[in-house]
Amino acid sequence: MESKKTATGETCAVKANGGKRALPLKHVLSESVLRMNPARLISNPVIFIVEVMFFIVAIMAIAPGLIPAVSSPSQQMFYVYVAIILLFTVWFSTLSDSIAEAQIKATADGLKQIEHEVKARRMDPDRKVTVVSSKALKKDDIVLIQKGDYIPIDCVVLEGIAMVDESLLTGESAPVRKAPTDVLIGGSVLVSDSLIARISADPGDTYLSKLISMVESTKRPKTPNEAAISTLLLGFTAIFTIIIVSILWLSVSLSLGADLSVLIALYVCLLPTTIGALLPAIGISGIRRMSIDRIIAKSGKAIETAGDTDVVLLDKTGTITLGSRTATEFIPLGGHSAKEMGEASFMSSWYDDTPEGRSIIALAYSLGFVPKEFHSISRAEAMEFSAVTRTSSVRLGRPNVFMLPKGGKGMLQRSRISKKYQTGKSSDDLNISKGAPDAIAQSARALPEGFDEKVSGISSAGETAMAVAVDGEIIGLIRLKDQLKQGIKAKIEAVKVMGIKPIMITGDQPLTAKSIASEVGIEEFVSKAKPETKIEVVKREQAAGRIVAMVGDGTNDAPALAAADAGLAMGSGTIAAKEAANMVDLESDPSKIIQVIMLGKQLLMTRGAITTFSISNDVAKYFAIVPVMFSALPVLGRVNVLGLPPSVTVLAALIFNALIIPALIPLATRGVRLKPRSTMSIFLKNMVTYGVGGVILPFIGIEAIGLLIKAL
Amino acid sequence: MSALPYAVWLVFIFAAVIASSWLLSAYLFAVYTGRKGRLDRLFDPIDNFIYKVIRADPSKQMTGGEYFLALLGFSALAAALCFIILVAQGYLPLNPQHFPGLAWDLALHTALSFATNTDLQHYAGETTLSYFSQAAAIQFLQFASAAIGMCVAVAVFRGFSGKFSGIGNFYYDFVRSITRILLPASLVAAIVLVALGLPQSLGGYVTANTIGGGAQTLDIGPVASLVSIMQLGTNGGGYYGANSASPYQNPSPLTNWLEIGLMLLIETSMPFLFGRMVGNKREGHMLLIAAYAIYGINLVVAFVNLAPFGPGIEARLGAFSSIVWTVTATSTMTGSLNAALSAFNPVVIIAALMGMFIQAAPGGIGGGVMYLLMYVVIAVFIVGLMAGRTPEYLGAKILPNDVKRAVIAFVSHPILILIPLALAFSTGAAAVAGAGSIPNGFTKVLYEFTSAAANNGSDFLGTAGNTLFFNISTSIVVLLGRFIPMAVMLAIADSMLKRTRSSQGGGLRTDNLLFAGILVVSILILVVLTFLPFIILGPVLSLLQGYNGI
Repeated sequence: MESKKTATGETCAVKANGGKRALPLKHVLSESVLRMNPARLISNPVIFIVEVMFFIVAIMAIAPGLIPAVSSPSQQMFYVYVAIILLFTVWFSTLSDSIAEAQIKATADGLKQIEHEVKARRMDPDRKVTVVSSKALKKDDIVLIQKGDYIPIDCVVLEGIAMVDESLLTGESAPVRKAPTDVLIGGSVLVSDSLIARISADPGDTYLSKLISMVESTKRPKTPNEAAISTLLLGFTAIFTIIIVSILWLSVSLSLGADLSVLIALYVCLLPTTIGALLPAIGISGIRRMSIDRIIAKSGKAIETAGDTDVVLLDKTGTITLGSRTATEFIPLGGHSAKEMGEASFMSSWYDDTPEGRSIIALAYSLGFVPKEFHSISRAEAMEFSAVTRTSSVRLGRPNVFMLPKGGKGMLQRSRISKKYQTGKSSDDLNISKGAPDAIAQSARALPEGFDEKVSGISSAGETAMAVAVDGEIIGLIRLKDQLKQGIKAKIEAVKVMGIKPIMITGDQPLTAKSIASEVGIEEFVSKAKPETKIEVVKREQAAGRIVAMVGDGTNDAPALAAADAGLAMGSGTIAAKEAANMVDLESDPSKIIQVIMLGKQLLMTRGAITTFSISNDVAKYFAIVPVMFSALPVLGRVNVLGLPPSVTVLAALIFNALIIPALIPLATRGVRLKPRSTMSIFLKNMVTYGVGGVILPFIGIEAIGLLIKAL
Repeated sequence: MSALPYAVWLVFIFAAVIASSWLLSAYLFAVYTGRKGRLDRLFDPIDNFIYKVIRADPSKQMTGGEYFLALLGFSALAAALCFIILVAQGYLPLNPQHFPGLAWDLALHTALSFATNTDLQHYAGETTLSYFSQAAAIQFLQFASAAIGMCVAVAVFRGFSGKFSGIGNFYYDFVRSITRILLPASLVAAIVLVALGLPQSLGGYVTANTIGGGAQTLDIGPVASLVSIMQLGTNGGGYYGANSASPYQNPSPLTNWLEIGLMLLIETSMPFLFGRMVGNKREGHMLLIAAYAIYGINLVVAFVNLAPFGPGIEARLGAFSSIVWTVTATSTMTGSLNAALSAFNPVVIIAALMGMFIQAAPGGIGGGVMYLLMYVVIAVFIVGLMAGRTPEYLGAKILPNDVKRAVIAFVSHPILILIPLALAFSTGAAAVAGAGSIPNGFTKVLYEFTSAAANNGSDFLGTAGNTLFFNISTSIVVLLGRFIPMAVMLAIADSMLKRTRSSQGGGLRTDNLLFAGILVVSILILVVLTFLPFIILGPVLSLLQGYNGI
């Protein structure tokens, strides 16, 4: 899993649900033997040919004198050895398939544990509740979900706010807040309150079951690159078939004394058995790694296209930043103290249940700015944010019985504070308002000195200013900062190093956008984005000949997701978005698009590396076998570079050819190592490792095996 | 004897060729993209007259299939005409020596061989063909087949480039290739060659009284005009059976090196033209570097063993220039000879075979660069995946269909060589032609079919190949060897024409030296993998058996 760490961290092992489980060895072994049935092997032509060759040599081993022109009874033992090695070659290939299939089955089983049958409370239109099995639910049914219930099936919240634990699906341990229109994924657990929700999918049509069926489906259509590699392999098979047939033909016509078993050995060595055997396993393991990351790819092609990405569109909010601004400083103005300012901000935010409001309270609390008027806050009159005035305000009056504030995340914090500060001295009515600086300035009596400079100073730093006024007098500003998501800088750096251009999309003002963009190292951004901006950018980049990847969750994003070459929809997003995208992330982590891109690249590289390795290997096998092939031409022994006796050379080459398959199974299922580096340096490294290494390694390997055989 | 002066001389020759090719490519670009020029006033009326006569609309864009059918139809027509001329030459004019018509199989073989730019000759021209046949059949086909090669290359360039609205119109390309490039160029070359001593006459063979008192027949004819197009169009079919070893075809070292330059000229300009047409000259330069690197490797191989040769080297030309000539003629698909192949050390034969196996270093007129692009598609696909992107060439993704077609073009070559090779030995046909032994006879037959499949025409069997088996089998091989790759490459070009081009170039770059190096290694590995056992059974075996000269 080393290759994954760069992008995802350690989460996969926890989530894999069977990824770590020991493979059912017995099943793998029996399955791999069953797969050797020729009728099943025919879908893999290269390996099928090897098996046919095994049957021919097996017949020669039983009846060595059957075809006198190209075989001799004195070589019977040699034929037996060749036949055994050929059989193992076929078995190693089926074994690699079986291992990959077993791995993916383990993953699917883990997923199925989540999607088990549960009891659900179905609500009739007259709100009567009946308990039914989750399997009996249909699309558009209304269900009641109570604390401790499993979400029976994918649904959309209609009423209520509650916390949901999605850790079974996503591995994210903190519960997620769900409010009306949010999407609930079947298999997660409600940990507080209750919800009424509408089922959005029939059983078997949920995203989880889509993920499972993606993992389990045995009939995957070949991706374009897989198809192209298969064609190439067929071409090589054709060339080598012609060569071997010609040599056989010539050897008989000219009495060159080539033994059929040796020719078959050369043939099998030359055939691209390595990539032929491992190609299916590479594709299967790619799907498996996607499912471990909880991403549904609607086709293998989608993953490959992601690997080709030139441009990736990143939403600022949610992808680059946490999506909520955090208060970092109180700036008093007009001769007021920081404490006054902080206390006013505290009170103005008490009923503000937005992340910003909560962060203001947290900042004030940590600085010790807890107002003495706190007692009276319980009976304060809160004016919620109004789009007209672009402000929210609090009117404080006489003290009264303390009431716990509404539920929500800040609840615990607030109850702690209210216990500490019980009722005290009362004060006169106060009207504290808070809002965008220009909105507050409009209703203020006068602007304090330095107001405009401070405000523009804050926004040019890419931050947001909020003004606070007490009874119409502006007493200061709150500095709010966009918090970057953890690790996002490194991810963006990785993307850039690999030659992919990130474009940040945000509704913010250009100055704010620019500041965030430059903080994470993004050169190109689109600010003041409107809902249709994404599709415009996608179309513009595509017209310039670039492959575009993007993430989206809203219905607004659907057209852009459909137009993008690689579109990743969030599992928590709207159904329209999920239908439009070609991939869905059940974990709803938008920065995962980068991981998908890396996985796509890794799959392509692995296929290319093993193909190159396979073809490079042939050079050495040729130079090993051809000089010892014609017993009537001993003079060719002078170019026998390995210096081994003929039969030993042939067996050594065959054994090397067979052993290289299981040796590369881990590479095929894990993928070649991919560190974010420039495309050319990745290419060079692979070229040297698998191209040059592929030419040299077999010389050493065949020689070593040959010496070992000689010693035995 | 130091090798240095020879190396310096070769570098000088290649530098001169490359410089002239570079200049020529600018002219070719203007010709094929229809750019207006001063010469239009001279050529446009001629071209328009031809279009009118053949009733072609030169402005109509053709699909790959239409283009291919047009060139196939034209080739068939031209070959049929020449077959008739050759069979009926006894009844035709300009036959002062009164040569009879050719046997049907030899005429068929000759017509097809010349129509496909192969020019395998199972006859000796001076004792078989009349002036009329040499000019109307042989020379006509040499122009036509060279022009077709250039047309296909240009059509393929247009498709790969993606900057053109179509792959072009065959009649437009063909007529312009003839009138604006091949005719003027070979006219100039012929005049120079006449000035350097080549004969050009229709006056019949001359009988001269020698100093020794005997009478000698000087079999002269329209030689210079034929030699110029035979070298320039990488045809290689000479006027005489001895080809360019004959003093009438190649009288002096000066003509020898000039003719080597002519063989390389147009094919060397093709990669430059490619660079201009795709809008990135570096892409063309890298193809040229790759082609010349392989050509250089072939030359080095040919000089690895300098052991004494058998008889057959023209003493007046010398071993050095003969070897360079032979390697050049086989690397360029010209196939003309200035010495007997049997005189060479097997390493020269290996180098010659390598040139014809690869077909792209720099290859035949038009065909060479077409094969180079075929190798590019295969190599970019195999190694390009390792850059972590779907492989692209010139911004266009390489699709499964491209790989399929390129592989068909590549596989057709070994099939066309190896199947008839095995047939020749299993049926005993090789023994009939006196080439039934291993390794010498094997080398000759391998060489014959390799030359035919590569449309080279370099000839090891010579008149011994005038048997029914070889006439028919090589006829089939030259046809398929010529037209299968053309059809396939035109199909690739056609499908690439409208493909979306990526502009980012985030994958493997193809316009740097690294790629040229990868291309060279890939080509060598592919060709070694395909042909190694057969090189070993032929020339390598001769070498090991210590036999010098085959």
